[in-house]
Amino acid sequence: MTETPSVVDRLRAHVGTPGPPSSAVVEAGHLKRFTEAIGDSYPRWLTEAPPTFLVALAPVSAHLPEAEEYGKGWLNGGNRFEYMEPVKVGDTITAIGKVVDVYEKAGASGSLLFIIFETEYFNGHGRMVARLRGTAIRR
Amino acid sequence: MNLQPGEELPDLIKHPTTRQLVQYAGAQGDFYEIHYDQDFARSVGLPGVILHGLLKAAFLGQLVTDWLGERGTLKSFEVSYRGVDVPGKPYRCRGKITSVSGQRAELEIWGEDPDGNHTTVGTATVEMNS
Repeated sequence: MTETPSVVDRLRAHVGTPGPPSSAVVEAGHLKRFTEAIGDSYPRWLTEAPPTFLVALAPVSAHLPEAEEYGKGWLNGGNRFEYMEPVKVGDTITAIGKVVDVYEKAGASGSLLFIIFETEYFNGHGRMVARLRGTAIRR
Repeated sequence: MNLQPGEELPDLIKHPTTRQLVQYAGAQGDFYEIHYDQDFARSVGLPGVILHGLLKAAFLGQLVTDWLGERGTLKSFEVSYRGVDVPGKPYRCRGKITSVSGQRAELEIWGEDPDGNHTTVGTATVEMNS
């Protein structure tokens, strides 16, 4: 696999560079579809985002086409969620994501590529409401 | 606040179905085929379609917020996906308090398959209202 190191190097070039911001309004209908999908009927979620909702508003991981040259599929290795302020229906949320780390590891059935993403979410007042981290794995 | 280290959260048992995976794919906007296309999932070495990691994270988030209710706030949580889970099998979410400091408590949280494997493991921090 002589091409493997170059994929890693090309991905590493993204580390630390924020992607384009994406903005979305928290809509009551989207919140309802999300809470129905996860099966969480807690009444507060009619007007406030449940813990993992922000991933539906703006994904924590960006699409990196060069990563797909490595291995044959994606796995999600883990996620971290930090909350500063509640997110409510009507809020306009702006997400800014970046790659924070890229590395390879030997796995039981071949090598694995780890890409760590971090996305910060801001409300309409410019205050950070949450920071999410995701570990995407190519295998 | 009467939280004590060692206190266990009430279990949350979920019964994910293939239908729920499709519903979740739509609600989150994650259309990776391993969550609804059996042939595709097998072609990449999986036993069949599997639960989204983030759906299991949502279940564990609910475990904590159901227990917390209006008594406090979830400040952060972190999960690692250690194994794949398939629809049609109950998914048991569990947690316990590991430490308490002032208004804050640290929790250990995890999700178990029917064989008792901890396929998702993590931690959470909550802050109780004063």
